[in-house]
Amino acid sequence: MLETKNLTKAFKKKTVVSEVNIYLEKGESVGLLGPNGAGKSTTISMISTLLPPTSGEVWFNGQNALKESQGLRKVMGVVPQEIALYEELSAYENMKFFGKVYGLRGKELESRITHVLDLIGLTDRKKDAVNTYSGGMKRRINIGVTLLHEPEILIMDEPTVGIDPQSRNYILDMIKTLNKEKGITVLYTSHYMEEVEKLCDRVYIMDHGEIIASGTNEELKSILSNEETIQIDVHTLSMGFQDNLLHHSSIRKVTEEGLGYRVIAPKGEDLLSEVFELAKQTHTKITGVSIQTPSLEDVFLHLTGRKLRD
Amino acid sequence: MWTVFKMQWLRLFKQPVLMIMFLGLTLVFVYFMGGAQGAQNITVPTYSDELSSEELDRWIDRLNEEDTFQFVESDYETVFDDIRMNETAFALGLTENNYEFLIGREDMEIATLIQYVDQIFTTEMRLQDVEDRFDLEDITIRNFIEVETVSRSAAVSSGDRSQLGVVVGMSLYFSIFSILFLMINLVEEKESGTWNRLIFSPLTKTRIYMGQLSHYLLAGTFQIALAFFILRYLVGIEMGTNYLEMGVIIISFVFAIVSLGMLLMGLIKSPQQLQVVIPIVTTSMAMLGGAFWPLEVVSNRLLLFIGNLMPIKYGIDAMTDTILHDQTLSQLLTPISVLLLMGIVFMGIGINLIERVSEN
Repeated sequence: MLETKNLTKAFKKKTVVSEVNIYLEKGESVGLLGPNGAGKSTTISMISTLLPPTSGEVWFNGQNALKESQGLRKVMGVVPQEIALYEELSAYENMKFFGKVYGLRGKELESRITHVLDLIGLTDRKKDAVNTYSGGMKRRINIGVTLLHEPEILIMDEPTVGIDPQSRNYILDMIKTLNKEKGITVLYTSHYMEEVEKLCDRVYIMDHGEIIASGTNEELKSILSNEETIQIDVHTLSMGFQDNLLHHSSIRKVTEEGLGYRVIAPKGEDLLSEVFELAKQTHTKITGVSIQTPSLEDVFLHLTGRKLRD
Repeated sequence: MWTVFKMQWLRLFKQPVLMIMFLGLTLVFVYFMGGAQGAQNITVPTYSDELSSEELDRWIDRLNEEDTFQFVESDYETVFDDIRMNETAFALGLTENNYEFLIGREDMEIATLIQYVDQIFTTEMRLQDVEDRFDLEDITIRNFIEVETVSRSAAVSSGDRSQLGVVVGMSLYFSIFSILFLMINLVEEKESGTWNRLIFSPLTKTRIYMGQLSHYLLAGTFQIALAFFILRYLVGIEMGTNYLEMGVIIISFVFAIVSLGMLLMGLIKSPQQLQVVIPIVTTSMAMLGGAFWPLEVVSNRLLLFIGNLMPIKYGIDAMTDTILHDQTLSQLLTPISVLLLMGIVFMGIGINLIERVSEN
């Protein structure tokens, strides 16, 4: 349905997106995961024809979308990272305007507005100015105006940034419903791996402007199939203990995680007794140990040596 | 295009304070700086130590036959004190066969006053001379230079022009504020992301720009027209009847200013910076372009040259020419063409810069 070919963007000789190749099949939910500054928003801007790429192509249903952008724009909905609304106007007035921009008129427009307001749970507040809304409500109306023209493909740029967990769950459930029940194709960018894991069938991991891995959640996690993650909670963080862990021959990676350490090591190694011994040597009191299945966060850590939120 | 256009109006109606404020300022400034004062006559204290009270009254009545100046009877001591205290700029002293002026400070009306008094005095002296030569009591000698008198009343004094210049200049000055501050919306839209939302939509960029720009054009035109309407019908300032010419001048001027706005939006990225730059640009443009004082009082060649690059100069010139001299569109072709040309150049560069910023 949508495919990019060697999409590259350089600003004043600095390449921020380099030869990105991604594709989306109809009805799929695809995640673009990466830390801040990885190039996700630039990639999305190029895919949505907002920003012309330095080189590369975007193909939509067999057409070059960069040359024939109208075809894609009619069926695409883009949810920007910022609250892109006229905040002095009400939710209803914003919806009416953006609906008209997509050619909706009369009863059809009114019925779509009613439906979307219901979907985003803002029917009761539709006449209030957007600048009186809470952060979560603004995020919902930000998504709502994108749904009015019933897009076939929904491109979302970190749509849950800066909101409370309750609103985030509401939005994630809504997107999942749109994808699974309405068959809307979703391209979802985030630096929250839990969101991408929950929503997306396939994931592209991006760092420093490049796609460094891609596949289904399971495929990506299988990169770490021979490894396991051990979470070691301690009473007090100790540099000595961390050094000991780092210099252990079987341990691949060590990162600080809250009041403890997250250790990636080969599966099957009887490491626990040695970990306790290392703690004892540095007078570190271990308060808990758990062995966890790898997450996309671990995959990213494995691939880049950094955490997603670094 | 119409959807975007109507949306901008809806936004303006939701937050009309800015437009109302600048319209109000136009009226207040015009009233105090030009309009209300300009509608009154210029008072000339007149005294005489030689003439009798009746003779002085007769002269004052004769001098007051025209409305340009208001001659009022006074005495030398009062006049002298008023000039010394800078309460009056000049006064007229009459003797039996001559007159003199007491001048306390330079005033742009003095030249017109001298010319006017000289003309009246010469006429009266000539009549007196004729009367003396023909010593016939049954013949009444009347002013025979009627044509000259008519010509005098139809002429436009430099005072009229400078007063109207202030009225027009102030109206245009505040309209520039309104238009440019209104245009900050465009930068805010880019910052908030609503602009990008429109770009994502099937609307073409041309239609988005047209919707936005036509809103600013109409809002600016409406403000100037409303200001002129209020000044004409509520304050009573004479604005003439050349409505077509005035309309064309207003639209050309607003087009040049909207284009200048686009240039500023292209050069300056943030609304905060624009809020600082706009008053500086607007006020300096008004000063150099002759909105606050007539350019005739400026002698510096460089300043006059820079003044020629200011759209407001052409707006004021064209407007005063059509109001005072009944100039038609064909006679106003030069200032209107300059305004349109400025508009096209500013718009071209502005949109180019804005688009270049968007792509980088």
